[in-house]
Amino acid sequence: MSKQFQFKLVLLGESAVGKSSLVLRFVKDQFDDYRESTIGAAFLTQTITLEDQTTVKFEIWDTAGQERYKSLAPMYYRNANCAVVVYDITQAASLEKAKTWIRELQRQADPSIVIALCGNKLDLSARRQVTEEEASKYADEEGLLWSETSAKTGEGVNAIFNAIAKKLPLTAPPSARGARVAAPGATRQSVDLNRQSTAHGSEACNC
Amino acid sequence: MAAKPPPARPHIGLHSSFNARSNADWGEDDVWDSGSDSESPRQSTISNSWRLPPSPSSYRRQSSPITAPKPVPRPPSNSSSSNVSFSYTHLSAPSPGSYPSNAADTTQPAKGGWTMVRKSGTSQEALCAKLPKDIDPIGDVDVDSDMVVGDFEPEMEQAAGIKAKPDQGSIKSDVIEIMNDPLHRFLRSPQPPPEPRFNHRMGHSPRSSDAEKLLRESSIRTNRRIKFIDCLSKDDVNISELRKLAWAGTPNDLRAAVWPILLGYLPLPSNLRASTLARKRGEYSSLVELAFARDRQGLDQQIWHQIEIDVPRTRPGVRLWMQASTQRSLERILYVWAIRHPASGYVQGINDLVTPFFQVFLSAYIDSDPEEFDTSLLPTAVLSAVEADSFWCLSRLLDGIQDNYISAQPGIQRSVKRMAELVARIDAPLYTHLESQNVEFMQFAFRWMNCLLMREISVKNTIRMWDTYLAEGADAFSQFHLYVCSAFLVKWSEKLRQMDFQGIIMFLQSLPTQDWGDHEIEMLLSEAFVLNSIWHNAQSHFNAK
Repeated sequence: MSKQFQFKLVLLGESAVGKSSLVLRFVKDQFDDYRESTIGAAFLTQTITLEDQTTVKFEIWDTAGQERYKSLAPMYYRNANCAVVVYDITQAASLEKAKTWIRELQRQADPSIVIALCGNKLDLSARRQVTEEEASKYADEEGLLWSETSAKTGEGVNAIFNAIAKKLPLTAPPSARGARVAAPGATRQSVDLNRQSTAHGSEACNC
Repeated sequence: MAAKPPPARPHIGLHSSFNARSNADWGEDDVWDSGSDSESPRQSTISNSWRLPPSPSSYRRQSSPITAPKPVPRPPSNSSSSNVSFSYTHLSAPSPGSYPSNAADTTQPAKGGWTMVRKSGTSQEALCAKLPKDIDPIGDVDVDSDMVVGDFEPEMEQAAGIKAKPDQGSIKSDVIEIMNDPLHRFLRSPQPPPEPRFNHRMGHSPRSSDAEKLLRESSIRTNRRIKFIDCLSKDDVNISELRKLAWAGTPNDLRAAVWPILLGYLPLPSNLRASTLARKRGEYSSLVELAFARDRQGLDQQIWHQIEIDVPRTRPGVRLWMQASTQRSLERILYVWAIRHPASGYVQGINDLVTPFFQVFLSAYIDSDPEEFDTSLLPTAVLSAVEADSFWCLSRLLDGIQDNYISAQPGIQRSVKRMAELVARIDAPLYTHLESQNVEFMQFAFRWMNCLLMREISVKNTIRMWDTYLAEGADAFSQFHLYVCSAFLVKWSEKLRQMDFQGIIMFLQSLPTQDWGDHEIEMLLSEAFVLNSIWHNAQSHFNAK
């Protein structure tokens, strides 16, 4: 039987760069031109299967982008295994905001967190303000995954989540990683479901 | 969800300070009947009523055939490039001289609930001066909206076959009078206006038990209406009497008058209302004029950027809110509020809070569903009045919950924490289960506080809920609301206790409240009332920190 893994993923980025749309495309393969702003954060899950038949389940926290909600973000990236930091290729300022998030993740999040930088709204490339060179150079320097996506057309969306899954430590001994966490849910780290089938019933010590 | 019968007024006597509501009147009418008419039978009669010909009076003002209404410009698909200069040209502002030197002062409510600021009167005169000009469109706007259907969407007329349903909605004949006095329709005579839709229905269901039930409900409603109108007719409205009535729900057609009084936007003495309205609307026009005095570059870029992003995605898919003229109004309301409250500025979710006010005030001028109404059909002065009234009432509401929106949102942090403590006391098994699944209250209740449950229930439900909140008083949107949220969570306790982390979070972010009507909201409110009565003055019983 193939291996199954479970990871926490957090989406960060400026307001209206398309975080929720990106997740909606990834999870439900849908797109709405206008979606209500996200308040606090929204939770979704999606499972993908890699070429080697390994399945990876993402538990996704899609956070609100407005600056005012910034103080909530640590609750969501605190124990995340991976982060997608989104900017809008038609808004130069949104890349600056993305860099701020990345610095914060590098300082505050789990040191092993896998970070992907994602330039969204590729369908509007006629109005592009952020060049591919600029963003990819920055991503290289910081050791991030990088790609451009269009939640509207779907272009590149699955690819970026696949790339993340491949970069996650699928070989790390789950028990060792799991021992650090107190309980399932909000603080769960990567879990190999073959070895530890009761993902939600962990009785790990709380002290 | 099991529709339990309402508890037998559990709240009476639980709260020592609740004398005002426990007088004999409670025995006379059914407090569980909100009078807000949202039960489904009534809805069907509303659509029936659209088929009725307009009353003769509505034809009176029709002096000329309709002029083709201008097409509604749709917002461009990219929200970031909407044209600012277009957005506020229709709002005629009074002379700049009427702008108060210290605008903030004029909005501080006096203890009595409204401000009595004597000013030059320029703004009032300015508003009055432009009325004749604005009355003109009335003659042009056809109140018989059947004609409008064809002008706007020919394909719909074809599909309908007959001119069955107003497409754009119909405007009342006396909008200018309503604008000057929201109560003018009701205070002329003590009797409520005839309700043809009710008679219409009764004619079709003679003597059945349904009909008797409807008759009984109708008589309760009529009874409540008469009490409301009696209360509102006084030269000096008795606010505690009005609060008592409104707690159990305000009739739809009286809400546009009742809410501003409860909020202290309209004064209690009847002879001051018209002048106060004119003055406050003039003041708002001045604020808009000032805020948008320079071009786009003169706006606070950060605030404007966020508002520009959020306006097109406020209630997406609802016709009213997808229209350019409504969106321009919403932009102005949000921007003017934000720059006057720099500690918070515009915070996402405040846009949601405008919508109940706007829809309630708009409803006063039209005979159709506000969510389907084309606001560009309204006379300019009327739309401006709807906008100004919405702005001032929003301001009043936000005055009570401003620390929800300032940096780090301490109001919400505090409310969520207290809610968790309360739930631990009233439903320990649920609390324990949430804890064991590592569900944090902040993960779901943040939104409940930030948007006052508007993302969880419909606008119609929200409006009914606010009847009670406004009756409860100034701090209801922070204090009472946390009891409502606690009751709301506990309502799903049984289901939640069988779910794991993922199930709980997913369930709580898409709750099955789509079919909720007034009954469910009133159950919730009564449960919250009980909790409030028991716990509010017992802070020491909350989990000590």
